[in-house]
Amino acid sequence: MVNIPADQGGPGAHSLLATTIRRTLTIGRLYILLGVGLSLLLSLVLLATSRAGTVFSTTYPLELPLFATLGATGGLMTFSSDRTKGVFEYLIAYGISPRSLFVNGLISTAALSGIILALSLAVGLGAAQVRGVALSGDLFTALALYTVPMSFAGALFMSTLGMIWSSLSTPRTGINSPAGIAPLLGIAPTILVLIAAESAPRSEYYYITAGAAVVILAAVLALLIASAHLMGRERFLSPL
Amino acid sequence: MQPSSAVVVPSGDPLKRLSGHRIELRGVSSGYHQKRVLEDITFTVEEPAIYVVLGPNGAGKTTLFRTLAGILQPFSGTVEIDGIDIGHRSARTRLQYLSHIDGIPDGLRVDEALQFYANVEGVTDREVERVVQLLGIQELRSRFFSELSQGQKKRVSIARVFLQERSIYLLDEPTSNLDPKLSREIRDIVLGLSKDDLVLYSSHNLFEAKEIGKYVLALNGGRVGYFGRMSDLRPAKYVIGIRAEGAEGVLGSSTKQGDYYLQELSGPDEVPKLVSELMAKGVRIREVKEMENPLEDLFT
Repeated sequence: MVNIPADQGGPGAHSLLATTIRRTLTIGRLYILLGVGLSLLLSLVLLATSRAGTVFSTTYPLELPLFATLGATGGLMTFSSDRTKGVFEYLIAYGISPRSLFVNGLISTAALSGIILALSLAVGLGAAQVRGVALSGDLFTALALYTVPMSFAGALFMSTLGMIWSSLSTPRTGINSPAGIAPLLGIAPTILVLIAAESAPRSEYYYITAGAAVVILAAVLALLIASAHLMGRERFLSPL
Repeated sequence: MQPSSAVVVPSGDPLKRLSGHRIELRGVSSGYHQKRVLEDITFTVEEPAIYVVLGPNGAGKTTLFRTLAGILQPFSGTVEIDGIDIGHRSARTRLQYLSHIDGIPDGLRVDEALQFYANVEGVTDREVERVVQLLGIQELRSRFFSELSQGQKKRVSIARVFLQERSIYLLDEPTSNLDPKLSREIRDIVLGLSKDDLVLYSSHNLFEAKEIGKYVLALNGGRVGYFGRMSDLRPAKYVIGIRAEGAEGVLGSSTKQGDYYLQELSGPDEVPKLVSELMAKGVRIREVKEMENPLEDLFT
């Protein structure tokens, strides 16, 4: 009997993604802890100030995407490791397309970002409640129009950039590798958007941030489409 | 040895058994990033057997396996498995591929690694149990793959190949980094496969290649240098080694290699006559063996 491999919608299709996410959680666990830990630290510092209510509501939502982006590095690390270790070579031989490998990497990254975001919001907002800070409508607007979209957009941008870069370069590890540098590049759009939004009128602030998140996601999509056309399968193989 | 410039497709053997499976390459050029490694490769295999793929480093062995497995898309030419272009997924499900690298994901225990590939292939836990028994890796199951020795890693990697039975096996250096005992076990498994299946097997070990290969495909500079029966290969010179007692006076002038006196003959037909002569002179012969491996000539 010939079973249907994962990429043909066989029984392995969902479990390959599930396994990738699970492995990403394992490989990137330190980054997740750092992401959540730093956001918790930030919330405690903000809540310790004398004007905790105002400071927390305006600053906390703006900083979270940085932690959610950096903390989601595990997705890129898993992709980079699988390429170097020859895992992709086998998966492509089983009929799984490079595009699926890319998409799996992105979904894993988004999952990590979502986990960090959810945990950070839970502990941050929980700490605010314990401190007696009122959760204002402005806070939720900021979370909805900036924090959540920018967290996913930043993490996906970082991951896409890193995956393409690591596929195009000789495999290497450490801080000098794509997996080491891409997270720093990944938070750049988040910071640039913050700077641009700060210089705009207050009424347009969230239009700019939400619009920027959409633009970044569109850039991710464009990079993916370009990579599918420009990168041959050999880019996913370990060196001879 | 047959002329090595032309591509020879083994055929015309009336006793040849066909497996019902077929690998066919026509004019295949392949490589990486527009750099051609293989040039105009054409051959067909359809008889169940082990086809040993030989060649010096950089000859294109791994590139050939990757192209056959559908991992690399040829620049030109066609690769067909059972008449189906390798670009189609249904062609790829007919073969199993063992890379020269482990291909085991980071951060997994052996059991999890096998389960990972079992999920990809859509096979059951029973199949995982079967390959664990087959490769004798029960005691490794709960250990992290990264903690294993090179030989143990190879064994786990090979186990992955047998998760699902296929009719065509592409094995790129399956016995590298293995101790002699395990190499023997792997060779025995592969020999078992070759009764019904097509097995392409690359190796740097010429003695291993000679032992298990029925056909040899030698690559040189990205081209097929020789493709034919192993038994048709003849060394450029025929040298035997004789291990014997009481031979000092008779063979004393011969070159000695270890315990063996070397004798160059015109061919195997002369061996019985030489042995008779030596025995008549009171030499007690313990062993006679061929000292030249005809496969070595493929590299010169």
